[in-house]
Amino acid sequence: MPDAAARRHRPWLVWTMLVALAAALSLAGISGALSGDPVDRALLFYSVLPRSVVAILAGAALGLSGALLQQALDNPLAEPSTLGVFAGAQLALGVAAVFAPTIGELAREGVAFLGGAGAAGLVLALGWRRKLDPVTVVLCGMVVAMVASSLTAALILARGDYLFALLIWGGGSLTQEGWRPSLAIGAALAFGALASLVLARPLSVLVAGESSARSLGAPALVIRIAALAVGVLLATTVAAEIGLIAFVGLAAPTLARLCGARGAHRLLMGAPPIGAILLWLADGLVQRVGSGETIPTGAATAFIGAPLLLWLLPRLRLADRPAAAKPAARRDPGRTLAAMGCLAILALAGALLVGRDQSGWVVFGDASFGELLPFRAPRTAAAAAAGAMLAAAGVVLQRLTGNPLAGPEVLGVGAGAGVGLAVVLLTADGGSLATQAAGSALGALAALAILLAASRGRLGPERMLLAGAGISALCLAGLNAVIATGSRPAFALLAWMSGATDAVGPREAIAACAAAAVLIAPLALTLRWLEALRLGAVTARSIGLRVRASRAALASLASLLTGAAALVAGPLSFVGLVAPHLAHASGLTRAGPHLAGSILVGAALTVVADLLARTIIAPYQLPLGLFASLIGGVYLMGALRGR
Amino acid sequence: MLETALALGVTPVAATELVLFRKAAVEPAVPDEVADLGLRGSVSYERLLAARPDLILISPWYEARRSALSRIAPVESYSIYDTGRPPYDAAVAATERLGARLGRAVEAARAIGEADGAIASARSALARLQGRQVLVMNLGDTRRFRAFGADSMFGDVLSRVGLPPAWAEPTRFGAYPTVGVEALAKTPEAIVVNVGPTPPSALVGMHESPLWRAMPPIAKGRFVSIAPVNPYGALPAAARFARILAESLSAVRDA
Repeated sequence: MPDAAARRHRPWLVWTMLVALAAALSLAGISGALSGDPVDRALLFYSVLPRSVVAILAGAALGLSGALLQQALDNPLAEPSTLGVFAGAQLALGVAAVFAPTIGELAREGVAFLGGAGAAGLVLALGWRRKLDPVTVVLCGMVVAMVASSLTAALILARGDYLFALLIWGGGSLTQEGWRPSLAIGAALAFGALASLVLARPLSVLVAGESSARSLGAPALVIRIAALAVGVLLATTVAAEIGLIAFVGLAAPTLARLCGARGAHRLLMGAPPIGAILLWLADGLVQRVGSGETIPTGAATAFIGAPLLLWLLPRLRLADRPAAAKPAARRDPGRTLAAMGCLAILALAGALLVGRDQSGWVVFGDASFGELLPFRAPRTAAAAAAGAMLAAAGVVLQRLTGNPLAGPEVLGVGAGAGVGLAVVLLTADGGSLATQAAGSALGALAALAILLAASRGRLGPERMLLAGAGISALCLAGLNAVIATGSRPAFALLAWMSGATDAVGPREAIAACAAAAVLIAPLALTLRWLEALRLGAVTARSIGLRVRASRAALASLASLLTGAAALVAGPLSFVGLVAPHLAHASGLTRAGPHLAGSILVGAALTVVADLLARTIIAPYQLPLGLFASLIGGVYLMGALRGR
Repeated sequence: MLETALALGVTPVAATELVLFRKAAVEPAVPDEVADLGLRGSVSYERLLAARPDLILISPWYEARRSALSRIAPVESYSIYDTGRPPYDAAVAATERLGARLGRAVEAARAIGEADGAIASARSALARLQGRQVLVMNLGDTRRFRAFGADSMFGDVLSRVGLPPAWAEPTRFGAYPTVGVEALAKTPEAIVVNVGPTPPSALVGMHESPLWRAMPPIAKGRFVSIAPVNPYGALPAAARFARILAESLSAVRDA
């Protein structure tokens, strides 16, 4: 069977070639520094060599981390960023940089581990009731990561220049000035390798099935948590030493599996070398592009890996289990809608009347209502419109996927809008409102199109959610890379990412309201689709619905809504998930009332978030997205716990 | 523009980012009665409205906010920083224009004279270093710094003092944001000046790092770390930089 033999050898051939390429790139750097000159020697020993070594060690550590996390959670999309580990570490380091700037490197590592472990612990605590079910865990991870990232973004905005180190760090740069990071990562890797030796057998039994795992004597949960802890330690050590390196933790185990690594043993052995090769190669390439730190390595890995991941997604074996929706208490929809309407009106009134001056909270403030209205009304109106649009998009996506925890943010559509906006900001030098809106909507559409293509039209709820999680993580990594350049578009993007409404004038407010009206109105005609699709494709087809066409139409409408809304509220809002969920949980189960109720709740939520953002640390204003994701995140944690 | 107004003897009713300004620019001192408006990028219009200004000064970066601001008071935009243009002359022009606008031409001439004087005395104090390259940077962490080019205020002041700025590569708004330590190997003869504010851990880590210590400017002791100066300031920042530069570089032994 020469064919089979060739197929077996092909992966080895490919990896050997990649190693050769990476080594050649490194050698080129080393030979450049080979001369008797003491300065060149110092550069070689303290900069060039440690950089290659740290790339190899960090890549291996991330590969092992990803393999451990994936085995522990039986989840092919688990990695440090989807579990909130990186976001938690980043937040902890940011807080430390502000409140204890004098701490040493070792303390920084400790702080990063505490942040990452805290985030992972929170994720696991939230997924506990569902026995760490993979989808719940990834969802909780995204919630925690988004809350942590919006807090970090607010921190950076509030401190201006001082945290520019944190910005660089976010992009993941491998520049070295000594051996300390290599030693630290090497030590963590050695510990991780030892732990993996112990954990490999229990983990492989675990994947075989919970009941046989019990025969090991150790409860499945203990094994999983031990593997998770080691994975988190590896990831946060890398994060503290060199920053966020996206994708390697995801790609290495996936590629190992693709190359035929079956079982925990082989996966844990295969992933680290593959991770090492990926990062070594990516870093070698980055050093050849432009001068110095044009692209942080952490961003390059995301860009190299994105096409690969999307190619892989349809080939992953995933069980498409329908999510069990809790039967909602049936109440009179009219009365519930009236209550939600009152809530929205109350929020609007509060946003227009309440302010804060030097002495504290005031109604109206120092000026008369007529004077304040031109400043408060546009942002309030825009916030309400954005909330309504996100909520409407959320209703569509939740009914489309049959998943009560779907939303434009979770499916990566919001992050896609961000990438579209970033392209406009970088190429058109800011661009007008219209081009920004177009870029944002196109980005959202592109993200959704990629999502649909990656799932090859089979929009199983679980696959769609996981594909969205992947797309979202990759888009956010790309955005982080742009922000790490510290240029002017970068700051515009950072402000947008956390959702800043203060720039909204009457023109933008009118545009937002018009977009909301124009895009939500067609949904009224699709109520029958929304009702039928929720019951599943088979039922929908049996009542004469053209399932694929209606799905595609609804999906594009949802991405347009998200793109328009994201321009005001940023990508991290959660409103599109929380509002429909809350409306449904309040008993609005039929499509019409569900849509109307969600729009009211969504508008109220963003308006309250905007009011808080404007007043809570006045005169310094926080971004709307921060409060929306905090309110939404806390609600969601409750909802996930109660599932 | 806050600096320029203060230099003309005008105390504004309100300004942005006073927390950062007091820490990173240090002088001129901002009187306590000046209301803080929050971040430059997201000004609290309500506070601004409450301060009842007669005139609002902005830079062209915030042109997008002009329509909202002009509902509160007349808006005037003064440009000092532009990519590729040394900013000192623009700062002089902005000071003159603002002086004329506020009827304080005498004070404007005095402020310009003071800045010119600070540069002239720095030039004579540093006469023995004439022609030596100086790299002005702001340390970010132990591995990276921000390098200021000829189109930054630091670079422009250096040229006027007779010390050509060493960072010749392109910049983004006067500074290149992330430069690795190894870049110092390319400018072995330069004197390195680190302008605050610097994270304390970065400064400590730098002095411990073997790579930093191997870099020729550091190895030969041609490194000084100076007090914070506003990198995007006007004439008062330029004068402060010239003064502090003269004080600190006179202590550097010439290798």
